[in-house]
Amino acid sequence: MIKMLNAIMVCTSVVGLVGVYALKYSVEDIATAKVSLERKIDRQEGELSLLKADWSYLNQPAHVAPIVARHQEALALVPTSQEQFGRMDNLPMRPAAPDPAALDALLSSLDAGIDPIQQLIEAN
Amino acid sequence: MAIITEGAETISLDGGRKARGNLTKARIRWVIVALLLGFATVGGRLIQLGATVTDSTIEGVERDVITASRPPILDRNGLEMAVDIRVPSLFAEPRRIIDVEEAVQKLRTVLPELDEDWLRKRLTGDKGFVWVKRELTPAIEEKIFQLGIPGIEFVTESKRFYPSGQEASHILGAVNIDNQGTMGIEKHMDDDSLALLQSIGLARGNEMTPVNLSIDLRVQHAMYEQLTDAMTRYKAVAAAGVMMDVKTGEILALASLPDFDPNNPSTLFQDYNGVKNDRFNRITSGIYELGSTFKTITMAGALDSGKVKITDQFDARFGVRFGRFTIDDFHGKHRILSVPEIYKYSSNIGTIHVMQTLGKDDFRAFLTKIGMDQTVPFELPEMRKPKVPDKFSEIVAATSSFGHGLSVSPLHMVRAVAAFVNDGNMTTPTMYKRSEAEARQTYVSVISPTTSAEIRYLMRLNALEGSGTRMNKLANGYRVGGKTGTAEKVVGKVYSADKTLAVFASAFPLDDPRYAMVVLVDEPQNENPQSGHTAGWNAGEVTGRIVQRVAPMLGISPDFSEMLDSNLVPVELR
Repeated sequence: MIKMLNAIMVCTSVVGLVGVYALKYSVEDIATAKVSLERKIDRQEGELSLLKADWSYLNQPAHVAPIVARHQEALALVPTSQEQFGRMDNLPMRPAAPDPAALDALLSSLDAGIDPIQQLIEAN
Repeated sequence: MAIITEGAETISLDGGRKARGNLTKARIRWVIVALLLGFATVGGRLIQLGATVTDSTIEGVERDVITASRPPILDRNGLEMAVDIRVPSLFAEPRRIIDVEEAVQKLRTVLPELDEDWLRKRLTGDKGFVWVKRELTPAIEEKIFQLGIPGIEFVTESKRFYPSGQEASHILGAVNIDNQGTMGIEKHMDDDSLALLQSIGLARGNEMTPVNLSIDLRVQHAMYEQLTDAMTRYKAVAAAGVMMDVKTGEILALASLPDFDPNNPSTLFQDYNGVKNDRFNRITSGIYELGSTFKTITMAGALDSGKVKITDQFDARFGVRFGRFTIDDFHGKHRILSVPEIYKYSSNIGTIHVMQTLGKDDFRAFLTKIGMDQTVPFELPEMRKPKVPDKFSEIVAATSSFGHGLSVSPLHMVRAVAAFVNDGNMTTPTMYKRSEAEARQTYVSVISPTTSAEIRYLMRLNALEGSGTRMNKLANGYRVGGKTGTAEKVVGKVYSADKTLAVFASAFPLDDPRYAMVVLVDEPQNENPQSGHTAGWNAGEVTGRIVQRVAPMLGISPDFSEMLDSNLVPVELR
């Protein structure tokens, strides 16, 4: 009975030992991976901050204005003058569209040999 | 038992089993002692390890503080004005360096600008951490890593970068190498709350919520560009401008030349054309005699009191005598002038009579009411107290009515003009984004809406017929109105006729005022032989050009209808 118990306990402790060591090593591995990931994130955040700074620098009016000035002649760029602004309600009304149905009717009647204008002249 | 031992010496003999038992007990006791000693040693070592303080600071500064970040600063439309970039900084641990000479030689192959002796001295010794060079580029970091010198390492620091360069220098201010604000809005943010956040560790290496300023970078750019242009066009020694939203008190643009580069704060202390300390913020910390622009204030005070009516007439035929002095007009008409004419022709005599009708004490009280004798409540730390005499004598009151004998900052003026056109509601200027509802809580009524309407009429009239016509030609259609001021500067102890400060205080669009602006050009020269040197020719034109550029951005469409101007005329004058 006691021998049996001893054997079980030895087995348990061996299993426990193996388990604990396995856990220890896996934790160490994960910790290393974590550190390297953190380094990577840190480096990428640094790069990102540089890219963001670059982007905002390139978007500044102070940066864009000289480019505009450089291409002013080639692209004929001038500041907008007051007269160039307009409003919707200042636009004239759209002219009346031609009536395609009436035109078609006229053409088909001409094709049929009936000239409505001639008829009008004759009627008078 | 008691019977046996009584009176006799007892001989006791232990059996074999008992003797063994005693021996075992003794052994167990020794083992216990040994174990206790063992544990005590381990415990003691643990305490010893726990008690040692490892020095993690670099030259007395915690690493956390070095990596402390600042919130990004954005303009009102979300464009970055200041961002943090992460840069590597090189430090050494001298006690871990094995061969100092080798380290020095190797480091100098990558960083040849370092002094050899300085570096050697720096790397020898038993110190924990010393800086070698701060704020390097990632490329250099890579090169130094490949050298593989023991005891040489990097820490990532936050460095402030201002993408807009010089354009918003006086607004943003600057930070020192430890990322603490030393000037401008950066310093204000620190004084306000950021220092606290950093000290309790909340602002370390993390992304922080961006701060939105009231500045519109497009407007700021237009103003900066026009002021730079004014510096060369009029050969001025300085130029400055500020634009404010009259309803919310938000500052949309603020520029002052000469300026500095916030990315390199030491440029602030560079001489400008041989003048020391000339790169200060003229809008907030410069105080000036603002000349005839003050007539707007005199008029507002007088009209609001009811003692002077817009229909009144004043005798401006003769100069006003004070003892030995006679004050006369620059563009003298020398006839009886109506109130709008006094304003339009910028008559000093007329303005003095208007002020005298109001009464000098009431005039002085009105200046207090519009905050002229106090520092303007504002976020930027660079402020200077205005110089306004506590009590006005007759002559000081007279000169003050046209802006001489008292000095205020341009910020005072823009705040007053904003209040005059905003139905008389004065608000506090701010650098942070603010809604109209929030601003309404700061409103103080300084003049009545009726007087406000009359002032708007006067300002527009001056643009149409008075000294602001050159401005109006440029900004035609945007209903700008304003008052010029050409103040003679005090050189030595007397007013100089050829060294002047040109000011233009304006507001637009006057049919529904949204923005107030003050532009000053210091010591302008004639642009060409045909032009003049008074404010209308320089500060006025600059104002016109700025409005022409920014009005469309601010959503103000040009309108040439004369109805708008005739609607501004008070009923009594129609």
